[in-house]
Amino acid sequence: GLFAHLELLEARAYKAAVKQEEMEQQKEKLARLRARVQELRLQRDELRAKLDLQRKRELGKEGAVLDPAQSSARAVVEWKIKKLKSMLQIFYLTGISGKLTKRGVCFCISTAYEGTYLDSYHLDLLTKPEVQIYRHSLPIFIPLQQIAKKFLQTDIRRFLAVLSDHLNAYMGRRYQADQLQERFSEQLEGTLQRNSLCNLLVFNYKVSSQSETFPFHARLLYGDPCCSLPTQVLVSC
Amino acid sequence: MDNNNCQMYEDEIQLLQEEIKLLTEKYEDNQQESTFFSDEEILMSMKSLQEECQGESTSDLKAQLESLETDLSFLMKFTGIQLRSHSKKTVEKAGNKTVQKHRLSGNCHSLSFQLEFQLLEMQSKESMSAVVTDLSIVMGSGEDSDMSKFVSSTEEHRNLLTFFRNLSTYAEWCEHRRCTFLHFK
Repeated sequence: GLFAHLELLEARAYKAAVKQEEMEQQKEKLARLRARVQELRLQRDELRAKLDLQRKRELGKEGAVLDPAQSSARAVVEWKIKKLKSMLQIFYLTGISGKLTKRGVCFCISTAYEGTYLDSYHLDLLTKPEVQIYRHSLPIFIPLQQIAKKFLQTDIRRFLAVLSDHLNAYMGRRYQADQLQERFSEQLEGTLQRNSLCNLLVFNYKVSSQSETFPFHARLLYGDPCCSLPTQVLVSC
Repeated sequence: MDNNNCQMYEDEIQLLQEEIKLLTEKYEDNQQESTFFSDEEILMSMKSLQEECQGESTSDLKAQLESLETDLSFLMKFTGIQLRSHSKKTVEKAGNKTVQKHRLSGNCHSLSFQLEFQLLEMQSKESMSAVVTDLSIVMGSGEDSDMSKFVSSTEEHRNLLTFFRNLSTYAEWCEHRRCTFLHFK
């Protein structure tokens, strides 16, 4: 009767209030989003104007120099830090770079094949009481101990140069084998067989000529560990 | 209807944020590449920064600056490769691909060089790859025929790394030879 009727009215009023609150929240949300869009649009336009000004200044004067009074001392120092980091990146490109550590030096040997930079390897050296290898990331099939025994104590530069030769040759061979698999997959029959040093490659391939295909078997031996070209090639059909 | 509007605004916010990020990067790159401060200006700025605000952040900056300078000076001394000047200009930047044009001059012992090369860098999830897409080398003092053959072959194959490794070895041997001859004088 009366109670049930009152409950019904209360429920309806509650639902209406909830709906009202939802609508208001939605309106607020929309207003917030709209304000944010305005804010970002303004930021974006300011940046576009700054870039435009930059371009005009650059065209006007060759190598426009910023008035040091305009840049804060902090900005100047940060500029120098960025510049030094760029120079260190150049050393990475030269093949031998590194960083001084508390107990010695950590060298980074980078490898490349014809302009494409490949993996780089680290060599952490301690310099006292004598030069020794603390840790390294070289693959185990590179004769590190042999080379270290010969050069590490007497000529570190030579030591690194020889290591760099080995590593670059290895990466060069590996890169070429990968490229062969990737770019000549049509002509390759079966899988390309190679050892971990990538100085022995064995594969089958086919050559097509006038709708006939000829199968070939190739065996490439790279006798010089510091060279990325084969010393012996056997092709049979 | 309102949901549509919300979505529209959110999409635009996303686009604007990405555009702002790109524009900021471009502006900062341009600033970095077109500015130049001399060593005295750097020293002055470092001093005035320390006077202005004594704090952790300035001593961090000072430590970073010194550590980078020591590392660089060590590398130049150790490898014999003295880099005198370096400038780079961003030619193209899109997504995770950056192309920069570099100008480098320096000397390795008695051999001076001037390089111009273009470097293409691509950032993937795990690593950054770099490829030299153009290379031109000018050697300073006297080009003997062996050197020019080496230089043109290096340019053709864009072997920037090989250039430096061989230059370093060759320059060292030149030094050895010079010292040996002096000994006989």
